Amino acid sequence: MPTQLAFTRILNDHFAPLANSILSAVHQPAAHPTAPISNAFAMELLVFLVMLVYFVAVRVSLSVEKPSTIQHVSEMIHGFVGEQSESIIGHGYERFTTYLTVLFLFILLANLMGLIPGLESPTSNPVVPLGFALTTFLYYHFHGIRANGFGYVKQFLGPVWWLYPLMLPIEIISHFARVLSLTIRLYANMFAGDLVTLAFFSLIPVGVPLIFLGLHFGVSIIQAYIFMVLATVYLSMAVAHDH
Amino acid sequence: MARMFQISKYFFMAMAAMLLATPAFAQGAATSNPYGPLAVGIGMGIAAGLCGLGQGRATASAAEALARNPGARPGIQLFLFIGLAFIESLTLFTFALLFVRTA
Repeated sequence: MPTQLAFTRILNDHFAPLANSILSAVHQPAAHPTAPISNAFAMELLVFLVMLVYFVAVRVSLSVEKPSTIQHVSEMIHGFVGEQSESIIGHGYERFTTYLTVLFLFILLANLMGLIPGLESPTSNPVVPLGFALTTFLYYHFHGIRANGFGYVKQFLGPVWWLYPLMLPIEIISHFARVLSLTIRLYANMFAGDLVTLAFFSLIPVGVPLIFLGLHFGVSIIQAYIFMVLATVYLSMAVAHDH
Repeated sequence: MARMFQISKYFFMAMAAMLLATPAFAQGAATSNPYGPLAVGIGMGIAAGLCGLGQGRATASAAEALARNPGARPGIQLFLFIGLAFIESLTLFTFALLFVRTA
């Protein structure tokens, strides 16, 4: 029986049969049938709910004459992501702003959640960053194929035909290595932040861990930004046309 | 057509080589080793130290570039962040590997 956070326990009390039936439907029965919902999943669900409330609140309070505070905030985030992707992708960046904004906000909220007592970062579990990385992988390949058609294969091949057999495996490995590096970077940063705070808490339980919590706060924001920027860079490479 | 066969031949050869390589990774089960903490100390020390040197060089160059041309701030900042993330991820790979293999 794993330790459960309060929110996870509430979810498990109400939805354990449902989660068990879904898990056995995909032939992956839960290790603990009384607590099939993990902390990471519960925290992800919490992030999802917060973002849903946020976007609904923005949509409801949308106004041209009297923009509310929440509208200013969302315009600021949208402007930030849009400016960033315009400088990297260039022409035709508007299509990707939705995905990149949601990715940024989701990771940011998930990272910062670890600072609140009673909650933990879902991103300190390797499964969650792997989900983000795989989604990004599929998304940029989809847009690469959409933008370049069959010519997208050319990006995986070298400049001359006799380099093709050498370049193709290298490119395939490097594309899968992107998934690995995106996953490990986010996961290890979040996990190491928690671990360092804990280690110093066990040495000096007063005051000093606060410094590392502050450091963790900065790292959380930077990592969310880095993940978004790298997704943008990969997208820009995938949709670039060869001249 | 002959070229297609050639390409696919090399492709499948590479794939076969990778399939053969997989069992090599699986060898050496993670047993609790008395030298585990020592390995963590030395490995993480080397990784963190060299990562610090690399990031120091990158940041120094970025600061210098920024001092010469403050107008180029957005571009320099972007490259600095991406570069630091890639340098740092090497240390994090070490960290993750050490954690998986010695914990």
